[in-house]
Amino acid sequence: MAQRSLTWRRAAVIAGRDLRSAPGKFVFVVLSVAVGVAALVGVRGFSESFRSTLTREARSLMAGDLSARTNQQPSNAELQKIESLKGRGIHSTWVTETISMASVPPDPVPILVSLKAVDPAEYPYYGKAELEPDIPLATALTDNSVVVAEEFLIRLKAKVGDTLRLGGHNFRISARLVQEPDRITAGAGLGPRVLISRAALDETNLLAPGSRAGERLLIQLPTTLQTAAQLATVRKQVEAMLPEAQVMDFREGNPALTEGLDRATAILSLICLVAMVLGAIGVAMSMHAHLDQRMDVLAILKAIGAGSGDLLRIFLLQTMGLGLAGAILGVAAGAGVMLALPAVFGNLLPVHATLAFPWRSALAGLATGLLTTLLFCLPPLLDVRQVRPILVLRRMVEQAEESGFIAFLRRWGQRKLQIAAAFVILIALTAIAAALSDSAQVGVWFGAALAAILFVLLLLSAGFLRLLRWLLKIVRLHLPQYLRQGLANLYRPGNQSAAVLAALGTGVMLILAVYLMQSQVLREIQETASPKLPNIFLVDITTDEVAGMKQFFKTQPGVQDQLELIPVISGRFVSLNGVPLEKLKVEHFPRRMLESVSLSWADAVPDGDKIRQGKWWSDPNAHQIAVGEGIAQRIHVGVGSAVEVEVNGKQLPLTVSAIFRADEQHISGRSGFLLPSGLLKDAPAVWYGAARVDSKQISLIERALFSAFPTVTVINLADVLDRIEGVVRQITFVVRFLAGFSIFAGLMILASSIASTRFRRTREAVVLKTLGATRWRIIRIFSVEFSVLGLLAGTVGAIFANLLTRVLLRKLEAQWHFEWRATLIALIGTAFLAVATGWLASYRILGLRPLEVLREE
Amino acid sequence: MIEVRGVRKWIQNGTRRVEILKGIDISIPSGQFVAIVGASGSGKSTLLGLLAGLDTPSEGEIWLDGTPIHNLEEEALSAVRGQKLGFVFQSYQLIPTLTALENVLLPFELNLPGNGINRARKLLEQVGLAERMDHYPVQLSGGEQQRVALARAFIVEPPIVMADEPTGNLDTVNGQRVLELLLSRNNLAGTTLVLVTHDPQVAALAHRKIVLRDGLVVEDILSAESAQVPMAAQGLANGGVR
Repeated sequence: MAQRSLTWRRAAVIAGRDLRSAPGKFVFVVLSVAVGVAALVGVRGFSESFRSTLTREARSLMAGDLSARTNQQPSNAELQKIESLKGRGIHSTWVTETISMASVPPDPVPILVSLKAVDPAEYPYYGKAELEPDIPLATALTDNSVVVAEEFLIRLKAKVGDTLRLGGHNFRISARLVQEPDRITAGAGLGPRVLISRAALDETNLLAPGSRAGERLLIQLPTTLQTAAQLATVRKQVEAMLPEAQVMDFREGNPALTEGLDRATAILSLICLVAMVLGAIGVAMSMHAHLDQRMDVLAILKAIGAGSGDLLRIFLLQTMGLGLAGAILGVAAGAGVMLALPAVFGNLLPVHATLAFPWRSALAGLATGLLTTLLFCLPPLLDVRQVRPILVLRRMVEQAEESGFIAFLRRWGQRKLQIAAAFVILIALTAIAAALSDSAQVGVWFGAALAAILFVLLLLSAGFLRLLRWLLKIVRLHLPQYLRQGLANLYRPGNQSAAVLAALGTGVMLILAVYLMQSQVLREIQETASPKLPNIFLVDITTDEVAGMKQFFKTQPGVQDQLELIPVISGRFVSLNGVPLEKLKVEHFPRRMLESVSLSWADAVPDGDKIRQGKWWSDPNAHQIAVGEGIAQRIHVGVGSAVEVEVNGKQLPLTVSAIFRADEQHISGRSGFLLPSGLLKDAPAVWYGAARVDSKQISLIERALFSAFPTVTVINLADVLDRIEGVVRQITFVVRFLAGFSIFAGLMILASSIASTRFRRTREAVVLKTLGATRWRIIRIFSVEFSVLGLLAGTVGAIFANLLTRVLLRKLEAQWHFEWRATLIALIGTAFLAVATGWLASYRILGLRPLEVLREE
Repeated sequence: MIEVRGVRKWIQNGTRRVEILKGIDISIPSGQFVAIVGASGSGKSTLLGLLAGLDTPSEGEIWLDGTPIHNLEEEALSAVRGQKLGFVFQSYQLIPTLTALENVLLPFELNLPGNGINRARKLLEQVGLAERMDHYPVQLSGGEQQRVALARAFIVEPPIVMADEPTGNLDTVNGQRVLELLLSRNNLAGTTLVLVTHDPQVAALAHRKIVLRDGLVVEDILSAESAQVPMAAQGLANGGVR
C-alpha cells in the first residue's frame, strides 16, 4: 500500500484558511505571545544598548585611557614617578573625591555634598563636562569658583551666581553641572556633586593627612602609544609605580557596573520569562479550545485517510504562524519598551544610553517566543491523535467515560506522549532560564520553582472552584437569578476557569510579592534606625578638634547620648604568620584590603565589644593587636598569631592577643584592628564620631557644627535612609513595571478563554433575550462571572504572594507582617481588571438580535 | 470483499453494558450493492462505522479486501480508509475552508502519489459541478455539496464505497441524482457499494438487502439481479433509476 502524507504546502493552506475563518478569536492569542516577547526584548535590548554605549564611550566614561584608583594620598616618590611619564608624551592628572559639608550663605544649614577636585587644565582627557551656561571648565573652575549639580541648587534653593561656603571658605557658583563624563567611573556619591579645582581644595584644608578621600589618577596616552600592547605596557608600569592602586584601562570599562548590569539583566529577564511562559500557556489553552471546536474537521480528515501526522502538520503550522505573528509584534513592542525603560530606571542609571534597535535581543526574543509557544502547545497538539473518526457519524451513541481510579490511571497511561512533552517543556524552560541568566543553577531553580508554583496555583484554583460549586449547590435557590447564573457560568462546558485563575493568579502573585517585599524591606530599614542607635555620624575630625568636639556635644542642647569617638589611622599589613603579603593566598578577602587598613587604638575593651578569645592588654606600649572575629576567620589568624603592620613608615611586629566581636551599635565597630595607644598615638589620625540627638534638633546641630567645625562632615542617618529608600523604591518600580507584563499575559489568557467560549455565550445571551431578559440583566450575569474569576485569581495570587514574601524575608532574617491594604487592593484591582477584560472580549454579544443568531443555526 | 465474522459491539454506560450489535456474520462479495436497512436504534449506522474502520468491534473480526481491520491501530486504519474506502455522509462533511476542488483533491493528496488535480476536475465535471470548482461549501446548495462529497469519495478509485443515508438531507431531485452517481460507479467500475438507508425505494435498487433489528441481522435478501454481479453496464448505463 503506497503511503503518502499531506504536503506542507497543503497543510499550510488548510491551516491558513482555518485561521482566517475566525481571525478575532486569535487576536488575544497573538497578544499573549507578544506580551512576553516585548518585555524580554525591551529589557535585553536596553541592556544591549547600554553595553554598547559603555564600550563606545569607554574612554569618555573613564575620562582617560587608564585610571588608577587609591584610597591613600600618593607619596612624593610616587608623584615623581608619575611625573616622569611626561617625558614620553603621557599626560596625567589627579582627581580627588571626598564628601564634605556645604551651605549657601546667609542660610547656615549645610548639606552633605560629593566633592570632586580636578585640574581644569587637564581634566577631562576624553568627553566633556557639560555646564550651563556653556562655558569651558577651565573658566568655570578658578581658585574661588565652583560648579554644582542641579540637586544642590534645588535643595538649597540657590542659583548660579550665588555663594557656596565650603571648608570655611566662600566660593562663587559659576555654573550648573549638566553632565560629568566619568560619573559612573567615579561611583555614586552620598550627596549632590560639587566640582572644585585642586588648587581651591588645597586652600580649604579639607584634606588633612589621613582624611577619607579617594584619589584617581587619569592617564592619557599619546597617539603613538595607542595599540593594545602599548597600553598594556604602560598599565604594567603604572601598577609598578602605584602598587596599592587599582589600575584599569578604558577597555575594562567599569567592572562593577557591567557586573551589576549583567546581574540586573539576568533577574529582569527571568521576570520577563514568567510573562512569556504565561503567554505560551495562554496559546496552549486557546489551541486546546480551538481543536475542541474543530473536532468535526479532524474527524472528517481522519475518516478520509489523514493520519495523525497530517493533522499535527496542519495545527503545528497554525501554532507556529500564531507564535510568529505574536513574536514579531512583540519585537516591535519591545523596541517601545526599550525606549520607555530609561524613564522607568530614572536616576538609577548614571549614564544615558544611546538606544538603537537591538537586533541580537530581537532575534533572541523571537526565538524564545516561538520556542515557548511551540513547546507549550505540544500537549494539546498531541491530543489530535486521540480524535475518533466515528464522530462524523453523529447518530452513534458515544462511549461514556469510565470512572474510578483505575480508569483515571488508564487515561493517563494513554497520554504517555503528553507526559513526555511536559518533561521536555520543563527541561527546555530550565535551559532557557539558564541561558537568560547565564547560570545553570539559576536556570534549574527557576524552572523548578515556576513549574511548582504553577502546579500548586492550579491545584489551589481547582480547589477554590470546587468549594464554590459545593457552596452554590447549597445556596443556589436562595440567590438572585443573575448571581446564580453568573456563578454557574464558571462551570460552563469549555470554560477553562482553573487554568485562567492559575495564570492570572501568577501575575498577581508576582506584582504583589514585589510590593510586599519592598514595603517590608523599607520597614526593616526604618526599624534598624532604633531609638538607641546613633543617628548622626561625624567624619574627618582632626586630632586638634577632638577636645572641642567633646565639649560641643557636652553643652549642645538636643544631645541624648554622649559622643563616641574613634581614631582611625591608615596602615598596611606587611606579613601574616610570617608570610609576606605578596605571597599570601587568602580566600574571600582581597589582598588589596590588607594593603590599606584602618587601624585604631583602645587600652580597654571598647563599649559594645566582647572578647571572644584571648585577653586585652594592660600595657599601652605592648606589641599586641586585637582583631575582629569575622576578619580573623577570613585571614586565618588567632590568638598568638604573629603579624607585621606598617604605620607611618614604621614596621610594627605584633602578636594577636584577643579576638573580639563588635555589637554594631557603637562606633568602635568601625575598625577591625585595635592596637595599644602607645604604638599609634603619634601617627596622623582622623577621628570618627557618632551621637544620638533629638531628631528635631538635627538641623540646628548641623548648622552649629558647620559653623564651629567647617571641615567636619556630618552624615544624618535620616538622609542616608531616605536615599536608600529612594533607591529601593526605584528598583522595585522597575521590577513591578516588568512584572506588570505577567498580569497583562494573565488578562490575555482570560480574554482568550472568554473569546473561545463566545459561541456558547452568544447562544446564552440570545436565549435570555428571547425569554425577556434586559440588556442590564445580561450585563450583570456576565459581570458576576468575570468579577468572581478576578476575585478568585486575586485571592490565589495574594495567598501565594504573602507566602513567598514570608519565605524570602525569613531568609533575610527580617520580620513579616500581613498587609491588609495592599492585599485588599490586589483583590479588588484584579476583579476590576477581569471585568474590564471580560467585557472587552465579549461586548458585541449585547448588540446581537436573537433571530440573527437562531437563523444561522 | 468484505467479511464480517461474529462481530459484536457494546458500550459501557456507567455500570450498564449496552449491546448495539449482538453477533453479525455477513460476507459481501466484490462489486455487490448492499443496502442496510432497519429502524432507528437497530445498529445499522454502528455496523457501517465498523465496516468503514471508523470504529473497532468489541468482539469478532472484520476483513476488508483481504486486510483484517478489527484490531488495527488507528494510524493503519486511516491508511486503509484512505486507500480502500470512499465514504459519503448524510451531512456531506466537507472541510469548510477548502474549495470544492480542494475538498475532492484531499484524499488523493493524502493517499496517492502524483498530481491529482486533473482527476479531481474531471470528477467534478462528471458530477455536474464544472462551474463550481472554486466555490466554498457555504456557497453551495445541499445537493451540490453532496455531489462534491461523492467526487471526493471516488477520487482514489476505492474498491469499496460506503454511504450513510446519502440522500437523507436532500430533496427528491437531488437525491435521485446522487443515487444515479453511486449506482453508475457500482455498475461501471464494479465498486462495492454499501449503503445505509431508511428509504425503501433506495433499498429496492440494491442487489442485496440486509435488515437489522435490535443489533441482529433478521433478513438478508438477494434480489434477482444479484447473480450478475457486477451489474452489467448496459442496464444502468443510460443512467435510468429503477
